[in-house]
Amino acid sequence: MGTEGEVAPPPSLLQRVVIGRNPKITALRLAIWVVLLLIAGKFVLLRIQVEGISMLPTLKEKGVHLVNRQAYLFHPPRRGDIVSIRLAGEHLMYLKRIIALPGETIAFHNGQAVINGQVLEEPYVKGPCYWEHEPEVVGPNEYYVVGDNRTMDFYDHEQGRAERSRIVGKLLL
Amino acid sequence: MSGRVLRLLLLAALVALGVWGWRLLHPSPEHIIRKELAELARTACVPADEANLRKLANAQKLASFFTSDAELTIDVPGRFSQTISGRAEVQEKALGARSMLGGLTVEFLDVNVTVAPDAESATARLTAKANLPGDSVPQVEELKVGFKKVEGDWLIQRAENVKTLH
Repeated sequence: MGTEGEVAPPPSLLQRVVIGRNPKITALRLAIWVVLLLIAGKFVLLRIQVEGISMLPTLKEKGVHLVNRQAYLFHPPRRGDIVSIRLAGEHLMYLKRIIALPGETIAFHNGQAVINGQVLEEPYVKGPCYWEHEPEVVGPNEYYVVGDNRTMDFYDHEQGRAERSRIVGKLLL
Repeated sequence: MSGRVLRLLLLAALVALGVWGWRLLHPSPEHIIRKELAELARTACVPADEANLRKLANAQKLASFFTSDAELTIDVPGRFSQTISGRAEVQEKALGARSMLGGLTVEFLDVNVTVAPDAESATARLTAKANLPGDSVPQVEELKVGFKKVEGDWLIQRAENVKTLH
């Protein structure tokens, strides 16, 4: 006849809620979550805060958003995508909408974007716009990007052809 | 056994301390240039109530970051285009700007430094962020800054803005 070992008392409700039934498994889960969050923060998601009014009314000033760095892993950027464009690095980036793709010709006439001679429907653009700009061809590895706020003067608004390598990702939300 | 581990740990700590000390005494050109750029940004800031003598001293200090034949080109299509040649002109323009831009703050972000193989020249790419008094949105420009080693000092020989969007 053997003797029975001591049975540990069941964990209290507070302990179960805070660290679970098995602290080792909870610690492992926590470590996995931390690693996943670090990977997501480094390679997938990028948190950005909007400064400026060039993407009004779509993106409000001081709004916080996430950019998906992996959005263009399986397909190239598309017209209408809002993308982040790096300068020397990723501390400060432009947030703009792609309106013309590589090889296309873009112009602005009577405030409307004209792509390959066709007026581009842009429901996201509100307010008056009077931009006039001669046609220019977007290079083979470039995308024409512009903000949604076209009420600003053409030269006060950062816009133009961005190299593909500068596009960091697509605005997620 | 534990004594051997302790000795190994002590040795590793001494090696780390030696490496740290060596780096402190012999900083790499990249480290020196980064430090210099940080100092340049600090000098470029203009306090709101800067006294005239301080303005002159800071303009002189700002010019001291440049070679005597330095060339600065800033071209923002439709808005602003200017070329500044030589240290004397840098000082003159800096003094003029300091008189008009009280409250200006300047930051250099994302500094990437590439040192040439001969370690006599280097190029830094960075994003300059300037908050002008009265402007709610900062001015942002990507810059390419060329450094040259002159008598042991790294000085700016050329600087130009990079067109992120063409």
